[in-house]
Amino acid sequence: MALNPLFFRKTIIAATGLFLCIFLIVHLSANCILLLPEDVARGLYNSYSTALRENPLIKIVAYILYISIVLHVVYALLITIRNRKAKPEKYTMNQANENSSWTSQNMGLIGIMILLFIVVHLANFWARIKLGIGEAPGFDADGNVDVYEVTYSLFQNIYYVIFYTVLMIPLGLHLHHGLKSGFKSLGFYHQKGLKTLAKVALIYAAIMAIGFGIIPFIVYFK
Amino acid sequence: MKVTFKIWRQESPDAKGTFRAYQVDDLTEDMSFLEALDHLNELLVLKGEEVIAYEYDCREGICGQCGVFINGRAHGPHNNMTTCQLHMRSFKDGDTIVVEPWRAASFPIIKDLIVDRCAFDRIIEKGAYISAKTGTAPEANAIPIPKSVADAAMDTAACIGCGACVATCKNSSAALFTAAKINHLNKLPQGKAEQHQRVKEMTWQMHEEGFGSCTFTGACEVECPEEISITNIAEMNARFIKSKIFG
Repeated sequence: MALNPLFFRKTIIAATGLFLCIFLIVHLSANCILLLPEDVARGLYNSYSTALRENPLIKIVAYILYISIVLHVVYALLITIRNRKAKPEKYTMNQANENSSWTSQNMGLIGIMILLFIVVHLANFWARIKLGIGEAPGFDADGNVDVYEVTYSLFQNIYYVIFYTVLMIPLGLHLHHGLKSGFKSLGFYHQKGLKTLAKVALIYAAIMAIGFGIIPFIVYFK
Repeated sequence: MKVTFKIWRQESPDAKGTFRAYQVDDLTEDMSFLEALDHLNELLVLKGEEVIAYEYDCREGICGQCGVFINGRAHGPHNNMTTCQLHMRSFKDGDTIVVEPWRAASFPIIKDLIVDRCAFDRIIEKGAYISAKTGTAPEANAIPIPKSVADAAMDTAACIGCGACVATCKNSSAALFTAAKINHLNKLPQGKAEQHQRVKEMTWQMHEEGFGSCTFTGACEVECPEEISITNIAEMNARFIKSKIFG
């Protein structure tokens, strides 16, 4: 019997999604360096990012990360196309808000917002630092690429600060539903465990959204 | 009481459907929703118009035939209820009540509010039974089954196949229905012998029928008249993976 797309696609989305959830914890932890006073933060942030770039293990993880994002998006698209086909005619009157959350009904739309964020975010940092597209970043006193300066100068622009902060709202919503749903898609069905998971998902999503959202503001007012 | 029904009328599967409004004046709030529709049909007969086609059987909430979408909710405004258990007191005098058939590609409309739910039957045919010959009814305690397992199996066996889960799901996913049928038998010793084959074949039929993927919105468990928990879908996912490894 061939692969059942109803399960295969969801499994890929859940597995890649959960991997991305772990990645975000590491990402936010590193971003917290930006909250330190500038003289400490610059050296630490730049040496940390150099260590990441040059570590061969991290390079492998980086490729897994790129692949995860692509698979997550592609399979979400495939699932959405299939699901739309399964419900070709919408109800004239539908009170979906009475039986389910807005977030769970609109994960695709929220996902597109996050994808838009990722594209801008990669253009701001990844493209400049790793691909060498656009203005080349400078070096700090220790000879490391001055990623701190790239970040600092970007967040002197209030429009970027607002963009980076506001788009953390859909991120938080997406993570809240995604974390709960992902575990269930992978077959976690322990009743009490799922209740704990719901609480953990809420706390996790709140920490991620507030954490990532507030750092640009703090850097702006530094 | 007086209400206006806005009802989907569709002559045949291929005909183009449309809403038609019917004002009914002499209803009482003690009437069930189906009795109100019966009354409307009597009025249509007296006027020489074609009656509205809708399904029902037991009218006591256990057969699963009376599924329609009422004011934007499967089986009307209450959670976990069939249409036949809905009463006119749930509406206000002067209300407009929008009545639509289940909308899903796998549940094609036959006429007006009646849809074809044979896709469910074809999923059932793929394994919601045991093939072992068990003879006459054995002594009930001959097979030891812990109470917790028997209760959990009964909770899923309660599914009446009304289709509200598919109807309310934005993806028209039949995951709650299929999970209920699979978990019911796979939990019990009689069903264990064919557990992996059952999961694989029933879920494959669910795919073949064109139902969508479950994205855990949770709408199905709110509309299910038998309050079948969405954790059953997670359990089916676990059983699916298990069947791939051990099947």
